[in-house]
Amino acid sequence: MNGKMWSTILSYVPKWTIWAQALMVFVVPVILYLTTNWFHTAIKRGSFSRKNKMNHSPKDISPAEAGIGPGTETGHYANIKLTGIYTTDLITVRETFGKNADVHIREFIIRGTNTRVAVMYTEGLTDTDLIDKYLIEPLMIKGIPELKQESFLHPEQADFLSTYLKTQILPVSEIQETQSLQELATGVLVGKNGLLVDGLPGAMLIGTSRLKTRGVDEPLSEGLLRGPRIGFTEELSDNTGILRRYGSDQSLFIEKFEVGSRIKKDVAIAYIQDIADPKLVTEVMKRVKAIHMDAMLESGYIEQLIEDDTLSPFQQVLNTERPDRVIGALLEGRVAILLDGTPFVLVVPVTFSMLLQSPEDYYERWIPSTFLRILRFMAAMLALLAPALYISFISFHPGLIPTKLVLTIIETRSGVPFPSLIEALIMELSIEILREAGIRLPKPIAPAMGIVGGLIIGQAAVQAGIISQFLVIVVAVTAISSFTIPVYSAGLTLRLLRFAAMFSAAVMGLYGVVMFFLLMCTHLARLSSFGVPYIAPAVPYHLSDWKDFVIRAPLNMMRRRPDMMNTTDEDRKK
Amino acid sequence: MNDSQVKISTTQAVVIIVNYMLGAGILTLPRTTSKAVGTPDVWISIILSGLIITGVGIILVTLCRRFPEKTVFQFTREITGRWIAYILGCANILYFMVIAAFEIRVMADVTGMYLLERTPTWAIVMVFMWIGIYLISGGLPVIVRVFEVILPITLVIFVMEILLSNQLFEIGNLRPVLGEGIMPVVKGLKPSLLSYTGYEVMLVITAYMQNPKKSNKAMTWGLGISTSIYLITVVMVVGSLSLDGIKTRTWPTLDLVRSFEIQGLIFERFESLLLVIWILQIFSTFAITHYCASVGIRDLFKAKKMRTIMYCLLPFIYLAAMIPKNVYETFALGDMLGNVSVVLFAILPLVLLLLSIIRKKGGKHA
Repeated sequence: MNGKMWSTILSYVPKWTIWAQALMVFVVPVILYLTTNWFHTAIKRGSFSRKNKMNHSPKDISPAEAGIGPGTETGHYANIKLTGIYTTDLITVRETFGKNADVHIREFIIRGTNTRVAVMYTEGLTDTDLIDKYLIEPLMIKGIPELKQESFLHPEQADFLSTYLKTQILPVSEIQETQSLQELATGVLVGKNGLLVDGLPGAMLIGTSRLKTRGVDEPLSEGLLRGPRIGFTEELSDNTGILRRYGSDQSLFIEKFEVGSRIKKDVAIAYIQDIADPKLVTEVMKRVKAIHMDAMLESGYIEQLIEDDTLSPFQQVLNTERPDRVIGALLEGRVAILLDGTPFVLVVPVTFSMLLQSPEDYYERWIPSTFLRILRFMAAMLALLAPALYISFISFHPGLIPTKLVLTIIETRSGVPFPSLIEALIMELSIEILREAGIRLPKPIAPAMGIVGGLIIGQAAVQAGIISQFLVIVVAVTAISSFTIPVYSAGLTLRLLRFAAMFSAAVMGLYGVVMFFLLMCTHLARLSSFGVPYIAPAVPYHLSDWKDFVIRAPLNMMRRRPDMMNTTDEDRKK
Repeated sequence: MNDSQVKISTTQAVVIIVNYMLGAGILTLPRTTSKAVGTPDVWISIILSGLIITGVGIILVTLCRRFPEKTVFQFTREITGRWIAYILGCANILYFMVIAAFEIRVMADVTGMYLLERTPTWAIVMVFMWIGIYLISGGLPVIVRVFEVILPITLVIFVMEILLSNQLFEIGNLRPVLGEGIMPVVKGLKPSLLSYTGYEVMLVITAYMQNPKKSNKAMTWGLGISTSIYLITVVMVVGSLSLDGIKTRTWPTLDLVRSFEIQGLIFERFESLLLVIWILQIFSTFAITHYCASVGIRDLFKAKKMRTIMYCLLPFIYLAAMIPKNVYETFALGDMLGNVSVVLFAILPLVLLLLSIIRKKGGKHA
């Protein structure tokens, strides 16, 4: 009896293969976890080596900070003072930034006195008409009236001199005095006029900068049929101007500061003071100020440096060229980040639902808009899962689709030598290549390539027996569906994930697709953008936020701002 | 990871209860109950046991509310003293782990039979568990968010599918009502009670509720939704396949969906959809039980590193899932779990509640 019991128990003791598998169940996720953790810290540190690298080059540290001398400036001409002696200063200028081919120095004498003056400007950045009219003309032609000429002869009256120039001679609004060479150099090099006057202790910087900018044309990247036809431009002041002009709310608040350690650029953070959550605003400020990088070429730099999760395929910051979109977001309590030199404005925080919404949804009536939104959600699902479903049904479960359809598909696939994964991969990859080529090609050639590519893929590949006709339909539907996504970067994510879905379908069929779906859900649930859960407002159930999710409720019903944004002022009607 | 600050709303508690309850049982429920009842009065048993369980569940949350912000693993100690608390806590942890293992095993068996004939079981199970650990290591808020995505999808598709089977439905299969008196109904109570396991999650969840006073409401709603799902299932399956048809089938609900075709829609057969949502449900049950077991170990042994506990449980759950040799042993394990759950979560909470009242432990929030 005892022996029998033992043998029964023994028969339940798992075989060694099971033990090995149990070990694997444990080891693989641990390794994955450790790897991602290591990767995260490495990204934060900026290098894979464990050594703590110096973040700043010695040039960026001012002598005072480094403890080697006075002066708090950094840069090429740091901590050199202008002497106030005209000839010395002029030589200093000529020897330093004056050596640049595009920096011009024009010397003349103020009429009525013997005071020598030098005007410095950078060509291309300044308007020479303005210089001639408001700088050279008053000084050289009009000059100083006889009564006042006396004081110009006494260099000790420098204060009087500069005040007199500023208040009575120079009819320009932007004047700034400086005694440091560094400030003078940066000023002149960004488009101001430097003015050296004999007898003045420092130099004057006079603003006549005028850069060529483009007009507020309709943005290329986000097309709309109905809605304002203006877009942001590369000029920060234009963009903040547009925000003020079209979203003129007294409480719209714009804060500016500089980013970039080498090429300094202005960043503006815009929010509506009595709507946006103050915690959110401080968090955005904190992250933007913490950026260390020599230059910000585009707002994409900022986007990538302030996002929550670098390893996620989903974007956590929205970029847009449309002012109406930004103003809408500001009214919902979001924060906009504008960078000088790019028309793309960033909006944070982002939720998944925003990526499938277009500003046009609010301009059209609510019934068609709701229809379009549902359509877009379905298109996104198709763009993500259609090829994966094709693969899983063809390779694993032909019994689950209608028999007639199976017969047709098998017939069209009869000459195809590849498994469905390879077949789908060939097609999907060529579509992606075509699309990428279409963006890179010069505009006149692009349509031609489209025709060639379409012909080859649609017709010739089928006739050559590489792929089946049914797959052409699947791929075409997928590609067209992915064009409906209003945010370009979100479309990129879906295109990328589509391949992951295809592989999981190829390995485990429909079960693989379900697992892929669960993985995506889990990832989205774990992700948050600036403290707001990424899948809000879908979950947690904010019923009042669902009025603006898949359904676009009538405008009259949207009385409250989104719950998820934690706004200070919830009522829209006030 | 710091769960102590995380609060879930009443709706979220309902979602967790329903997601936990709908699991492996839904495919076998019509068979187990029909076998026990023997007459078409199965549905009465389901309603009755739903009511009984609601009563039990309310006792359970009343107990939990006496100890605000504490899980069962923390407050048992206050009622019974250290050693009994350790034994009871370990039993609970073991129960949660075995449930997780059981769900995985059933999922692997069904998937292996209907979806992936040639894929080895370990491959199916491992992917499942890895995604599960990714989910639960995000903590309770992440779990709840995913559950909230899964639940509506499940409910809509499930109810739609079951109702599509109305072409097979014959009201004659459900007659006569109480033809052999009340006794068969009473006999059916036990298996239907077993399928209601899942409400015990409130032992852990009540501690994290924003508004623990509403835990009664959450319990009632959760059980109400689950009861209606069970009721619809049993009525449709018994009505369509008849009593005799059910007894011989291992997975009657799945067979019901397999047995009809609808022409003209994209899919003629709907078992793939049913399997998809069923896998989603099993996933949620697995995730929450794995999570509860980890919380149990953390609270009982005052451990700090929740993540480590979660990862360490993985191999044990896997081994437990692989122990049953065939599908019948798996079902036997399921029955055993049901019996244990009656003791652990129906009788014990009552005893603990009485004890805590007698010994004047805990607050008077009840």
